Amino acid sequence: MAQETKTHDSVGKSEYTAVGKPTVRIEGIAKVTGQTKYADDLTFPHMLHAKILGSAHAHARIKSVDTSAARQHPGVEAVIAAADLPDYKMNPSNRRGVIFAVDEVLFEGQPIAAVLASDPHVAEEALALIEVEYELLTAVIDPITAMEDGSPLVRSAISDVDRSEEKGHVTIDVEQDEAEGAPSNIASKINFSRGDIDAGFAEADCVVEHTWRSAMVHQSYIEPHATVADFDNSGELSVWTSTQAPFYVRDELRQTLGIPENKIRVTATEVGGGFGGKIFLTELITAALAISVKRPVKYIMSRKEDMLAATPAPFAQVELKTGMKADGTLVALKAKLIYDSGAFPGAPVMPGCLFVGGYYTCPNLQIEGYEILTNKVSVGALRAPGAHNATHAIESHMDIMAHELGLDPLEVRMKNAVEEGDPLPSGQPYPRIGLKDCLQAISESDVWKGRRDAAGQANRGVGLAIGGWIGGLQPASAIVGLNSDGTIDVTVGSADISGTNTSFQQIAAEVLNLPLSSVNVTTGDTKTAPYAGMSAGSKTTYTVGKAVKLAAEDAKRQMLDIAAQRFEASPEELSVADGKVRLDGDDEKILTFERLGKMTTNFGARFAPVVGRGTMSTRKSAPGFSAQAAEVEIDPDTGAITVLGYAIVQDAGFAINPLSVEGQMQGGASQGLGIALSEEMEFDEEGRLLNANLLDYRLPTTRDLPPIEAIIVEVPSEDGPYGARMIGEPSIVPGGATIANAVADAIGVRVTEIPITPERVLRALGKL
Amino acid sequence: MGKVSISLIVNGRSCQIDVEPRWTLLETVREELRLTGTKEGCGTGDCGACSMIVDGKLITSCCMLAPQADGSDVTTIEGLLSNGDLHPVQRAFIETGGVQCGFCTPGMILATKALLDRTPKPTLDDVREGLAGNLCRCTGYTKIYEAVRAASNRES
Repeated sequence: MAQETKTHDSVGKSEYTAVGKPTVRIEGIAKVTGQTKYADDLTFPHMLHAKILGSAHAHARIKSVDTSAARQHPGVEAVIAAADLPDYKMNPSNRRGVIFAVDEVLFEGQPIAAVLASDPHVAEEALALIEVEYELLTAVIDPITAMEDGSPLVRSAISDVDRSEEKGHVTIDVEQDEAEGAPSNIASKINFSRGDIDAGFAEADCVVEHTWRSAMVHQSYIEPHATVADFDNSGELSVWTSTQAPFYVRDELRQTLGIPENKIRVTATEVGGGFGGKIFLTELITAALAISVKRPVKYIMSRKEDMLAATPAPFAQVELKTGMKADGTLVALKAKLIYDSGAFPGAPVMPGCLFVGGYYTCPNLQIEGYEILTNKVSVGALRAPGAHNATHAIESHMDIMAHELGLDPLEVRMKNAVEEGDPLPSGQPYPRIGLKDCLQAISESDVWKGRRDAAGQANRGVGLAIGGWIGGLQPASAIVGLNSDGTIDVTVGSADISGTNTSFQQIAAEVLNLPLSSVNVTTGDTKTAPYAGMSAGSKTTYTVGKAVKLAAEDAKRQMLDIAAQRFEASPEELSVADGKVRLDGDDEKILTFERLGKMTTNFGARFAPVVGRGTMSTRKSAPGFSAQAAEVEIDPDTGAITVLGYAIVQDAGFAINPLSVEGQMQGGASQGLGIALSEEMEFDEEGRLLNANLLDYRLPTTRDLPPIEAIIVEVPSEDGPYGARMIGEPSIVPGGATIANAVADAIGVRVTEIPITPERVLRALGKL
Repeated sequence: MGKVSISLIVNGRSCQIDVEPRWTLLETVREELRLTGTKEGCGTGDCGACSMIVDGKLITSCCMLAPQADGSDVTTIEGLLSNGDLHPVQRAFIETGGVQCGFCTPGMILATKALLDRTPKPTLDDVREGLAGNLCRCTGYTKIYEAVRAASNRES
């Protein structure tokens, strides 16, 4: 293990006073008392409610849209379809560049028209009065046949694909080849290779080849998408929205609507769950409607609309062939990854290609990835987008090969696991990482240690898997100000989706040696807050946290300078503690923060206000890894899987708030368990979603999930604040493979498709 | 649509409200009383975010029409504070990290209160059964189990 690694027993016992300690949420009281304002809780004078008519078909030509009856419906203020909008700069190749379908609908639920009324029930009634005449076109549903030559086309040709959002989730220098030549449903291709693949397989003692499938799944935040927009007579657009990415929303609105960025105010209201799915969706349509009617407009997606027409995570098929020597050395890996992108480009096949061959040193690689268009809702990010699909394949193979060679699955992983300096399939070398430390720690978890007991019991099994994420990078900034009462305000532009504002409170308190109660943190809107990238790609504490640290250090320096002038001393002779600046060795020379606050804000004050500024940009990512283990029991008659125990290890670099880090780990693991066991968006042959509700689309409930054992390891990152690294996403990645391996251990046969439903278990057992 | 008058006791206060018969209790409380702490996650009774306690029973208020609640005693998340102090369940959720995005939290806290009112010392199995109607997507439930245990110890 790396020398600087701390065992989990030392987590939370750092030498620091604020960071590294379990800390309750800064916004906790507002949330438990119901006072937190989410977008749907806002209301404005003269506000209208929007209801959207979505396409009834997955693929059709729109012959006509007749809104006259809907317009006549009492209480309706406006009905708006594509033809009613001004000439905005649409980009039909991208989901983000389309408001209403024009001429052709590409997936079920695609918006066609909106009704506005002060009473949402009235708007809903009027939707039924809109007459759309469709000419049905072939709905292309299966991505595997869709990529064949001669397949019917999903849509007219695409060009000018915008991949900016994906770069916010995973930032790496890899170019995807956009499809060229004859029109086809292949939106992009990607290739990585290394060494000599045939020679690699020739020296292998064990070669395994399988095809793995993972279902389309939905982020299923409990708060559906929600936006309120207003457009005033001076031409200023205000948007209050449940987004992880307020500045990105502003930029996208500017691009399409042509409003300068300094005339757009985006306020990220509290996000009731995002997980990558709340980047940019309802903002454009709501803003366009508000501009059309010059009144505030609220658009709240119903759960059904959100299931039909948000941005879920893709189905993927991974054809994988791997070769291993008898001593457990992985020598060859050949993979073909096919990701179903839905009706617009944007499927995360690139990270899938990176991770299918990125966990283990393997001298011979050949990886190809395809992003395929189909007439389904287009996909977006879900926590480490694309990684779980690929991980399901490679981590299943590691177990199969270990089993065939009579080797221990954990030792085989340890033998091949990547370390600092080892290359990703793209060639880019890893910085310092903690994968091996995670493997070591999972071997000490209760679940893994209990595997011999499980082995003695019929239909019980234990499995493990690993997963990782590289993360995104974006510049960030922060402001730390001293108030006249000596308290501190931290202002940032990042949406707090995971407890990051609490971590910023800890960081500022640490730098300024203050109690947490003296520091408050605000997420400002895009006109008042300093810039931050989207809260996605696990980057917020890593980047904005660093800016907060720099801003707090800047504020501290300013306070020391003022005190030094006052005491006629040098700043080096001063120290800061308990809200006071002291001249070392002189008990008389003390300036409280409150005094400093007044000296910098009062009438006629001699000193300028203390405003600390922190800005940062880094190209150095801090990948996070996780290892997980599960114990399961299978009912051989029903195929039902019971998760008896689950453990997650993750390298946090440095856990600024261990309470939040554990929460991220357990939450991500539970989403991985949903992917493994029950979550699947099911479509019929015409491309209609069969389970657009939370009863038939099965999220894990308390009945499904035992307490999850969380073990933090800390291998400091090179660039993050206090060594923190990217936290939010790795936890979702290994779940599918962990359960698949545990199930195989329990029943001795492989289920190659996730979710591993009871039906698939029975099929694998030959009982169906 | 014509309105009917109903009377409710909401968090201890009597109120008379004119409602359309199609309004749910959820939208009546949120839109007419402007008590927005209760959330709508699905509108079909599947997620539990809209949980309220009506006449001592935990219900999903998105599936109860307002006239059905006529004459009822309703507790929402706003009714749990007493003299400005947090309810032990609220405190436990904050302290154990049982709150993340907060959207399921009001419903989850009311479900926990209803569980502890019935079963003051629940086993882990009781908790997993008692909260099964309330979905949380952020926590994986582990810290919610801890919150329930902490609140149960505190209340006794």
